[in-house]
Amino acid sequence: MKGIKKQGNNITFSVIVIILALIPLFYSMGVISSTSTIMFLGKCIAFSIAAIGLDLIWGYTGILSLGHGLYFALGGYAMAMYLKLQATGGKITEFMHTGGLTELPMVWRPFTSLPASLIMMILVPAAVAGIIGYFIFKNRVKGVYFSIISQALTWAAYSVFIALSPYTNGNVGISEIKSVFGSIKGDANLGNLYLLFYIALAIMVVIYALSYILVQTKFGKLLVAIRDGENRTYFSGYCVSRYKNVIYIISAVFAAVAGALFVNFNGSITPSQMTISYSITMVIWVAVGGRGTLVGAVIGAFFINLCEYNLSSGELVNIWQYIIGAIFTVTILFFKGGIVGVVRDNIPSLLSKRKGVSR
Amino acid sequence: MTLVNTLFNGLSLSSIILLTSLGLAITFGLMRVINMAHGEFLMIGAYMTYVVQELFSKFFPEQIQSAYYFAAIIVSFAVTFALGCIMEKFIVSRLYGREIDSLLATWGISLILQQAARSIFGTQGVNVNAPSFLQGGLNIGSCTFSYNRMFIIGITIFCMLIIWAVMYKMNFGRQMRAVMQNRPMAQCMGINSKKVDMITFALGSGLAGIAGCSVALLGSIDSTVGQSYIVNSFIAVVLGGVGSLTGTVLGSGIIGFASIIFEKYTSSSIAKAVVLLIIIVVLQFRPNGLFTIRSRSLDE
Repeated sequence: MKGIKKQGNNITFSVIVIILALIPLFYSMGVISSTSTIMFLGKCIAFSIAAIGLDLIWGYTGILSLGHGLYFALGGYAMAMYLKLQATGGKITEFMHTGGLTELPMVWRPFTSLPASLIMMILVPAAVAGIIGYFIFKNRVKGVYFSIISQALTWAAYSVFIALSPYTNGNVGISEIKSVFGSIKGDANLGNLYLLFYIALAIMVVIYALSYILVQTKFGKLLVAIRDGENRTYFSGYCVSRYKNVIYIISAVFAAVAGALFVNFNGSITPSQMTISYSITMVIWVAVGGRGTLVGAVIGAFFINLCEYNLSSGELVNIWQYIIGAIFTVTILFFKGGIVGVVRDNIPSLLSKRKGVSR
Repeated sequence: MTLVNTLFNGLSLSSIILLTSLGLAITFGLMRVINMAHGEFLMIGAYMTYVVQELFSKFFPEQIQSAYYFAAIIVSFAVTFALGCIMEKFIVSRLYGREIDSLLATWGISLILQQAARSIFGTQGVNVNAPSFLQGGLNIGSCTFSYNRMFIIGITIFCMLIIWAVMYKMNFGRQMRAVMQNRPMAQCMGINSKKVDMITFALGSGLAGIAGCSVALLGSIDSTVGQSYIVNSFIAVVLGGVGSLTGTVLGSGIIGFASIIFEKYTSSSIAKAVVLLIIIVVLQFRPNGLFTIRSRSLDE
């Protein structure tokens, strides 16, 4: 019993992974009716990765970033541009041509090869987060001030991405792209889809494991210390700003990886993934799932997105916004621990009660 | 001449930002509640203006059509004031001292209000016709000063004077400042702090309603109209220094003039980004804004 309690989060995560791993079986049995559902679950895996990153910085370190959409989109654009350039064979794309460019701009040069793209996909968000974090944390901008500045930064980046339409295709974004393994649409390309799906699943497991190890180490304990008493941590002789900066970079990179996976499943990326409201949607996943527990982030991302997927296809599409708004507000007001918190607080006592009765 | 025009545009933009930030300066600055639904209160104010206009054109004779706008200002204020009361009572009152949670909880409210606007008024934007006395502009030399922008500057000054009077000249303002500075002490002095909290929050929301009323003159209204103003307002309050009305005025002025000046050299979206970057750099040197209330406490 004690073991279950201690390892409950990891067991829950394993169950989620096993269910996801059995998806091809479900499809062949007819439980899942179309490949688009599998693609959607793939997107959910990407969202969970972003949520884990956000949970590390918000749930564990207590820094609320309202700008993770920026890093998600940076990773997404990096991947999308590589895939687009694969399709054109390294030549300039149509929208660049329309925008008046005659050759591939310098900034997109590295994205003609996969290894370089992957490196850039990690390096660019890490550098952006590193520079922003260095200055903001060094000057001890914290709490809501950080949140407001991060949302303003995202907003600025969003307007720049729209303004530079010869490079980024403005509002439309980069669309009509195939995945890394070629097209994943339709039954004919089912193999590609499964391959992509399992790779995404593997990446999620790796990221979960890395984060789990991270929060177990001294570094992770320090993050919690910063959350619970920043000044005390300073007084104990730790350079808090440096720790904050490192975790900010890590979570930005996770968001970028998530964005890159998302593009593979979604087939397009638009600046709307960079908006403030999209960034706060990610915060909703973490809050509803349960901040401060890694599995909570995963549960939240799957729960909210699956609800949205099932509700917004029918007549309930208009009601969905009411539901999500209400869920979010109620969670923040009354259930600080989210779904995981509710389960953890109530299930053990329920179980012990039943035991008491049987005795 | 272009200089005069630039200055006028800068003043106009600053006054709009200031009008939208005044309410925030109260709810965020004094009460420490980050109301993300502030933009939606602004939207409600704008929609109320539209509703009042439609009602007037149905039920009142042609001659007094233009008077609708004054009725609209009052209705917008009243509706958002009432909504502010309700929201304070049921949501915000549970969140004092939890700044980040107040930000998130009110975001949920803002999602609900946006969807409500879409359900009632549709996704298409609606337009408000400026009342006849605000159409056109004043021509001096080669410069044109449009009446509605001058009117907004006027409303902003009027609102500022009212707030100043309420906060520093009236008994209620004294109670308000007392509660915000030291709640237990104020309660010991017999001030009903719950009532003060509610009215203060409602006042901030009502100001958003008036701001919405003036924003309605500038362009079409849809469910996202609040979002386009809210980021600038938050930044103006932070830049000026949370808790300082003078700071908010200065912060709005800096953002307004800087945006107009940069827009002359680049596109408006690049100007937005440049202005924000400059502000973030300024905040590096003065992390608590330009005007700060000094205190010796370690954690504010």
